[in-house]
Amino acid sequence: MKTISLYVDKKTYLTGLHPFTKLFYVIAAITAPLIAGKLSGFFLMIGISLILLISGGLLRKALPLVVFTFTILLTIFLIQGLFYQNNVTPLLSLGQLVFYREGLLYAARIGLNILNMLFSFALFVLSTDPFIFVEELERAGLPKKAGYIIVSVFQIIPQMAAAKNTITDAQRSRGLETEGRLLTRARAFIPLLSPVVTSALINTRERSAALEIRGFEAKTRKTFLSERSFSRSDRLGFFLMLLLLSVAVLWRNFQ
Amino acid sequence: MKKIFYTRFNVAIIALIPTCIGINFLGKLLASALRLPLWLDSIGTCISAFLGGPIIGAICGAASNLIYGFTTGDNISLIYALTSMGIGIAVGIMSRLGFMETFLKMLLTACVAGLAAVVISTPLNVIFWGGTTGNVWGDALFAASQAAGMPVFLGSFLDELVVDVPDKLLTLIIVFIIIKGLPKKLTSLYTADDEIKSLD
Repeated sequence: MKTISLYVDKKTYLTGLHPFTKLFYVIAAITAPLIAGKLSGFFLMIGISLILLISGGLLRKALPLVVFTFTILLTIFLIQGLFYQNNVTPLLSLGQLVFYREGLLYAARIGLNILNMLFSFALFVLSTDPFIFVEELERAGLPKKAGYIIVSVFQIIPQMAAAKNTITDAQRSRGLETEGRLLTRARAFIPLLSPVVTSALINTRERSAALEIRGFEAKTRKTFLSERSFSRSDRLGFFLMLLLLSVAVLWRNFQ
Repeated sequence: MKKIFYTRFNVAIIALIPTCIGINFLGKLLASALRLPLWLDSIGTCISAFLGGPIIGAICGAASNLIYGFTTGDNISLIYALTSMGIGIAVGIMSRLGFMETFLKMLLTACVAGLAAVVISTPLNVIFWGGTTGNVWGDALFAASQAAGMPVFLGSFLDELVVDVPDKLLTLIIVFIIIKGLPKKLTSLYTADDEIKSLD
């Protein structure tokens, strides 16, 4: 089945871990450098995420996720390096433009924080099957209606993207221009979007009838097909991340 | 008095939310396919807010950012779940107050939604990005304002304003066209002020 998920089923130790362990890693990886409050903390954490990604064979999939933020990071470095409010010490100058130390440091802090978040997230997203994640959330007490919403989004989006391609081809063959000046492109937006949206909305009526006759509003508790439990490596993972967080707290206080 | 926050969690609403999240995603996809300088990723949020009320709009907005962030690894959009919630609530309240009936009233709704988005996004931009938004036009304005020595908050506010208000105007014009074309047998599933009448 086609989904929008980026999950790669590689059967490594990373995919075998419980989703909550990996979720806790994301939280720990994002908060630890912020607690420690040092630039080197970000480097260390990015390094750990990279090692984990390489060991799980996911690095090649993770890089495209990071590359697309490079233009945004570049604008941040330009704008903050040139115009940051507390700029005092000039660092280097290119013709008329002077880059300041304070602004570049501030930009480095923002940029590293974003990169750190991206890498730790990539680890979670690439190694976790969203369906298993939702199942575990439901087992932990997420309402089943919320679980249905999440799972069905994964099925609806590829359907709608396919419908969008069909409509685009149909409208183009009728002579709709989808390239050219900004105004031309903007004008193409409504004839491309509204048929897909209207038909999708009309389909919800049928979907809700179908759900209702299958007992969607039954009040009984759901049962699960597969059993999954915290393994020893999950417990080890949790222990290591608690260790990491406490090291971060110590690092902040003893310097 | 109309019930502004009245929300039903029946099957029809539950089936509507994933569709609207899909519409958000599709708008974003089309905007980048046509290389438009706007986001147009809240069309579904506005439709769900119109049909289901402010609370459904908020759920739909937050869920679409969360799901998008968790599946594509684009964690930047996770934070903006708050903005999407604000847009959903603003459009929901305005449409329950009757500000989606005519084209002119709808334009007012669009301005309210745009302002809600600006007010919520500006602090997030300043905290996470140092003030930039990632949109070319807005960031050029931000750079100019910083060069002129304006405070970061004001610059970021303007940056967000020039992008968000036109974005929400176009979004709500599209929403208006779509909802006026929806069949009555669909919209009647979601009306909040219906009453049961007996024959005798």
